[in-house]
Amino acid sequence: MAVQQGSFEDCCLSESHNKRLKTLLDSIHIEADRFLGYPVSQQFDYSCLFPFLTYPMNNVGDPYTQSNYHLNSHSFEREVLAFFSKLLNAPDDGVWGYVTNGGTEGNMYGIYLGREIFPNGMVYYSEDTHYSVPKILRILSARNIMIKSQPNGEMDYQDFAETISIFRDVPAIIFANIGTTMTGAMDNLTKIKEILKQRAITNYYIHADAALAGMILPFVDHPQPFDFSSGIDSISISGHKMIGSPIPCGVALARKNHVARIARAVEYVGTLDTTISGSRNAISPLFLWYAIHQKGKLGFRSMIQNCISVANYTVDRLNQVGIKAWRHKNSVTVIFPKMSEKVLKKWQIAVHRDIAHIITMPNTSKTQINAFIDDLIQGIEENDDVTGKQYV
Amino acid sequence: MKHITIVTERRLGVVSEITESLAAAEINIETIQTELHDNSSVINLTVDRYDNALQVFQNIGMHAISEDAILLRLKDEPGALAKIARRFTDAGIGIRSIGLIKRDQPFAFVAISTERTAEALSLVEDVLVG
Repeated sequence: MAVQQGSFEDCCLSESHNKRLKTLLDSIHIEADRFLGYPVSQQFDYSCLFPFLTYPMNNVGDPYTQSNYHLNSHSFEREVLAFFSKLLNAPDDGVWGYVTNGGTEGNMYGIYLGREIFPNGMVYYSEDTHYSVPKILRILSARNIMIKSQPNGEMDYQDFAETISIFRDVPAIIFANIGTTMTGAMDNLTKIKEILKQRAITNYYIHADAALAGMILPFVDHPQPFDFSSGIDSISISGHKMIGSPIPCGVALARKNHVARIARAVEYVGTLDTTISGSRNAISPLFLWYAIHQKGKLGFRSMIQNCISVANYTVDRLNQVGIKAWRHKNSVTVIFPKMSEKVLKKWQIAVHRDIAHIITMPNTSKTQINAFIDDLIQGIEENDDVTGKQYV
Repeated sequence: MKHITIVTERRLGVVSEITESLAAAEINIETIQTELHDNSSVINLTVDRYDNALQVFQNIGMHAISEDAILLRLKDEPGALAKIARRFTDAGIGIRSIGLIKRDQPFAFVAISTERTAEALSLVEDVLVG
């Protein structure tokens, strides 16, 4: 990422306001170097696209529909969607989608489609699902049941099977995690479909939340089932996570026949716009388009292999110093016991219950990992948190 | 009178934390009861300003359950929720949502929201909390 060392002296603001902006930028610059716990890449440079920021661009409406608002980037957005469609093994011309404001909007879109197709359907999601999903379920008034998770973060299939058996007459809307927030666990789509088949449940819809892993699995040799070839109906992938973007963004894709149903439903308001929001950001599709063409599939593959290599290094280093760390197959999320809270706070490490995680993103270096582990060891030696003692 | 249930870890000072937070927001507590479980505390309250109290609990990071949901304590094992769900479906009561609130081995606290809360309550008296 190109660091802008702005003085803000040219801003048309008072000296004190300029100073506040400078203080914020300086603080962001410092914190960005100790940012190990959240899945966002800092490895991007879109400075050559900055001229677009001088126009009121807006991708209002459906990216595949002609718009009277000509200051848009719909054609670039469609190319981004075409790239993801191929990456996710979507049937030719069989999917529809749009660039969202982030993974949550894509998840909302998936559940919305499922709910429209099966208005009385029951949404099943695991205990380890992102916190925004219960919020979405509430907004959509979708009936829902939380399924237990296994200790590794994956759905408890026995609990799922027993629960779904009771609602065999109710269509099932499955919210599958393809990489949970805390552990990177992936719900097994093959097992889920087997359970549905064994119980003769034919009315079902599967949405995949692949916020981070959706940009990892296409670039590994042996991916877990996660895409359209594995029978999903819709998917949400974040753009600002693995690809990287200064503005949160994502991609939502769904089978076209499902979307056609929504389109019919909204005809009465005189629009065929099937997106959730009205005005939409026209800049982030350009960022994604730029990254796709700058890196290409080979570049992404190399980037992912590097992330996995740093994840392996992190696991090894933590284990070497006596801290039990692990990660799921094809995941860049390294899990270890929660300890030394002062150090975790310094490095902005996310914690949940008794675990913490580091996510090795494209900008995460071995040097940073070493510095973090040095801090961790020192923190434990200084006994700033007794919970750390038992792991060293 | 609307009640709120809080499920939190069992530790010293949790009730003071709740009462002080509500007092700071000028919310009057009308009743308060605490139920202790293995590693969890379940606190039931009624207050004079219900919505504001829910906001206070959100701000201090406590999981507040409104009276629209039924709180149960079940064995933490696969299928436990399914068995409870069966009671409702057999009685023809629609389920809006079922969510795991907190695990306290070997049990788990579960919140259930149904279409007919009063009737649903009578079906789960044996596992009801609060």
